[in-house]
Amino acid sequence: MIHIEGVVKSFGAATVLDGVNLRIAPGEVVSILGASGSGKSTLIRCINGLEKLDRGTITVDGFNVADPAQLQQARRCSGTVFQLFNLYPHMTALQNIALAPVEVLKVPRREAEQQARELLASVGLADRADAFPAQLSGGQRQRVGICRALAMKPRYLLLDEVTSALDPEMTGEVLDILAKLAAGGTTMLFVTHEIEFARTISNRVAFLDQGRLLADLPTAEFFAADGGMAHPRITQFLTRLSKS
Amino acid sequence: MRYTDFTYNDILLLLQGLGVSAALFAVTTLIGLAIGLTWAVLRYYRVPLLAQFFAAVAELLKNSPVLVQLFLVFFGLPVLLETDITPVQAAVVTLSGNTAAFIYIIAVSAIESIGREQLETARVFGLSRWQTLRRVVAPQAAAFGLGPLTGLLVNQLQVTSLISVVGVLDLTRVGAILNLRTLKPFIVWAVVGLLYYLMAKLIAKSCARLETRLRAHTAWKGL
Repeated sequence: MIHIEGVVKSFGAATVLDGVNLRIAPGEVVSILGASGSGKSTLIRCINGLEKLDRGTITVDGFNVADPAQLQQARRCSGTVFQLFNLYPHMTALQNIALAPVEVLKVPRREAEQQARELLASVGLADRADAFPAQLSGGQRQRVGICRALAMKPRYLLLDEVTSALDPEMTGEVLDILAKLAAGGTTMLFVTHEIEFARTISNRVAFLDQGRLLADLPTAEFFAADGGMAHPRITQFLTRLSKS
Repeated sequence: MRYTDFTYNDILLLLQGLGVSAALFAVTTLIGLAIGLTWAVLRYYRVPLLAQFFAAVAELLKNSPVLVQLFLVFFGLPVLLETDITPVQAAVVTLSGNTAAFIYIIAVSAIESIGREQLETARVFGLSRWQTLRRVVAPQAAAFGLGPLTGLLVNQLQVTSLISVVGVLDLTRVGAILNLRTLKPFIVWAVVGLLYYLMAKLIAKSCARLETRLRAHTAWKGL
């Protein structure tokens, strides 16, 4: 269970998260929608301990991310996939995936590489194991990014706008994999602008606006006229997005 | 045979000088690398006081003439410590310190060239600061720093010639002696210069080969 309670985070005078409460239970897929600058990515960065909270608490499976002694274990529970992939440029796809299992989980190298190969095969990149990031397309890089997160066998997958740097075709490649993972029961916190996709894979959809959660509803209710769509700000955002 | 003639022994003498210069260069480079990289690592770990202290030391060494540093060590240190210091010792101390200062500066800028997002990624995946340094930062920083390092090493090789003034029998000193005896400055200094040139070429070539290997991951092949 990821437990987010009363989280406040500001950068200087700008309050980016303003009292956010959210729970993600094992097996759930929760999508977070919202305009750019609404605090979505910051929320992810708070969960994996890259930002200090000003107020409130976040626990991942009971480990408090604000406590340096527990942060490492909290991080062990979740895997992050980044918007701009953040692959290590000097390592091959295989090395990128095997690095953390070998260094952090102390998995024997041979075993970690075997596992990395299986992961790459599962996302259709079996033949690109020895390619460097610079030799891969954006969609391929993000698939490697997903494999890298999965290699740590996380209980939760944090996805931070993982397709917003990709063209529609590459987006499709990546979303197909996420759909498979969701169907397989992987718990995901999915920050995205892909509304239609969020609708098909999520159990719940939350809407973040200027650091506040305007809605946190089961998917069907969120998109119902008397549910989330009853909220003028959400309707406005969704219609603008579907027009573009 | 007249004393102004070149003899077979003179070639041996020059080679001996070359050996002294090369050895001095190699030893001071290794010591300089060890010290300079240690300072850079102290800075990477943000060790309080020590990091600032060595940054200031590097700043001092980098911004004063090597010859002045050499005189300070050779003439000043014995007075201060009330011991004798041989020319070779003074040369090793001075050149090592000077090389360390420049290597520190190259290493710091190479480490800072690694994007913050990579450090954050390593952190999120649970890598310790040391693991991040070893597996993520160092390999990329090495590739980045090798270009400036090549320039530095070629320059430091030429700088070794300064130590001849305190009496170390390096290539330049041997050249000066032969010049006095043979009275053929154009030949002597041309040969000495050529020997430095060849050594510098050797250094640059080996660095370039290493750099190609370290940069294997980039699609960018240069202009």
